[in-house]
Amino acid sequence: MSGTTNTSVSSSTEKGDGEGKTAAILIEGLKLTYSDGTEAVKDVTMEVPQGEFFGFLGPNGAGKTTTIKVLVTLLQPTGGRVEVNGFDVKSKAQEVRESIGYMPQETSVDEELTARENIRFACRAYGVPRERRAERIDELLELVDLADVGDKKSGGFSGGMKKRLDAAMALVHRPSLVFLDEPTTGLDPKARNELWDYFERINERGTTVLLTTQYLEEADHLCERLAVIRDGGIVARGSPSELKRRVGVEFLDVDVEGGRDTAREAAEVLRGEGIFGGDASVEVTDRGLSITANDARSRGSRLMVALDDAGIQVTGFDVREPTLDDVFLAVTDDETDVSGGEDAGSRQGGSE
Amino acid sequence: MTPGAESGTDGVRLSRNTFAGDFWANFKRWTVKSTRNPFFLFLSLIQPIIFLVLFTQVFGGVATGAINSGEASVSYTTYLVPAIAMQVALAAAASSGIGLVNDMEEGMFEKVLVSPMNRTAVFLGKTASELLLILIQIGIILVLGTVLGGEIATGFAGAIGIMAVGFLFSVWFVSLSNILAVVSRDQETTALGANIIQFPLLFISTAFLPLDALPGWIQTVAGFNPVTYGVDAARALVLGRDVMTVIELNAFGGIWDTLVPAVSVLLVLDVVVGGVAVYVLKSATSSSVR
Repeated sequence: MSGTTNTSVSSSTEKGDGEGKTAAILIEGLKLTYSDGTEAVKDVTMEVPQGEFFGFLGPNGAGKTTTIKVLVTLLQPTGGRVEVNGFDVKSKAQEVRESIGYMPQETSVDEELTARENIRFACRAYGVPRERRAERIDELLELVDLADVGDKKSGGFSGGMKKRLDAAMALVHRPSLVFLDEPTTGLDPKARNELWDYFERINERGTTVLLTTQYLEEADHLCERLAVIRDGGIVARGSPSELKRRVGVEFLDVDVEGGRDTAREAAEVLRGEGIFGGDASVEVTDRGLSITANDARSRGSRLMVALDDAGIQVTGFDVREPTLDDVFLAVTDDETDVSGGEDAGSRQGGSE
Repeated sequence: MTPGAESGTDGVRLSRNTFAGDFWANFKRWTVKSTRNPFFLFLSLIQPIIFLVLFTQVFGGVATGAINSGEASVSYTTYLVPAIAMQVALAAAASSGIGLVNDMEEGMFEKVLVSPMNRTAVFLGKTASELLLILIQIGIILVLGTVLGGEIATGFAGAIGIMAVGFLFSVWFVSLSNILAVVSRDQETTALGANIIQFPLLFISTAFLPLDALPGWIQTVAGFNPVTYGVDAARALVLGRDVMTVIELNAFGGIWDTLVPAVSVLLVLDVVVGGVAVYVLKSATSSSVR
């Protein structure tokens, strides 16, 4: 194994520190234009360090799957540089194929074969040495909870079971990098949670994961960093919390005793005290106030004190962070442009 | 301890895949798939067997006269066995493309393309498994034909020869079925396409009656029909004499006057149609943007 470019990632502190290590994925100015002129990917630049759980988000048709197909050597880029595990996808396609696992968007298992036979075929396809096959097959069946149905034809499996088998097949050669293209689409919440556990487990043992998903909850739950693609280009990137911060708003609901009249009074107090900046919106509701502001959380205690001083009794208080849904809507909406540069360097104007 | 066991990944490594290993993996996969569905295996035998039994019963009396013009008497069963053997090959070969389309629809095709397996080995393994199946089916027909009273004049060696002819005869039709599969990418079209041309191919050939007994235009078409060459070669081996009348040769003597031209025609056909299939499959598996 000398000369290998893969280094195990043993602790989370090493994650994201790309110094001296080959990035798992390196994309520079990727272009993919079909011969009919369709520009599926216009200009994508991104880097995924080893060991990271990376989320790749975007609306349908944004170029997610096309980008993944380039990364797994199914499509050759028409422009730019793409390296996977240090290998150029064009000139070193064979090396790329050996070093990655790929779970396509459409479930792909051989329905006439049993779960065990499917995994065995994948073992052969990825050159897992004969003496290690039996052990690895058992281990994978165990990992994806299919051990008790290992000798049943996969054609009779539920959607979730097939997906789990598919995932196991992508991992027979213990690749250092796996691509999961919308792995939980169409699954019920229970099956989805099971897969999530499984993905976390493989990431914990050092495997870099690139995940595409339409479920923002999924990206929020699993991913350390995200990139959002729209119209063939990256429009936002960062950790889930960074992205949420970049949307720059928090939601604060305050319930007061006395309903709408008191609420109006409370709004006056807030305005008089100047608790929130000019960019905040304070809305009077039947129950109290609904405030949208960049810094709602940190101003909460001042708000409480001010209302208390004014003799207004607060009966309920709730701060909500933006969800990734809010981020997604913001960055995939033409009107809002929050596309930052690299990392969190540039922020949206409103934040302090 | 391996580095893989320590870090939980095998990391990047040099290829352990070999051409033979990749071939075997795919050969085994497709063979297991066909044994998994024995119904299908025998289903493709049913129609040819019905043909063998019905044709000998219904047309036996009439046809025997037509096939025994001047020569030593031959039963219609004996005459029909080589034709049915080729029919089996046609029917089985037609399903090759269906397997490919099914793989495309199931996503296994893409999965294989992403793997480090050698693509030539992948297709050779699949084709070899299908050809093995065809040989077994031809064997079953030969045994059945013998049980029903047919005779193979050239004996066991001749039976092996018939299988070899069946092999050559299958390659072009397997190729055609795969071309249909890649072009249509649709199961129904692939299945129907191959099935629809099967019957005209069989009837407009020397399969059921000798060339002289066929109407003029059919004689002309039969001369360009690959089935004629497959059936004539197999029939020469069953009857132990030169049966070919499309191409008259006397240079080699006996059955070789049939075998040499027939096998040559089949070989050329295999190379040409096989070449097109390779080209079509290559473009289907290419990662170049289309």
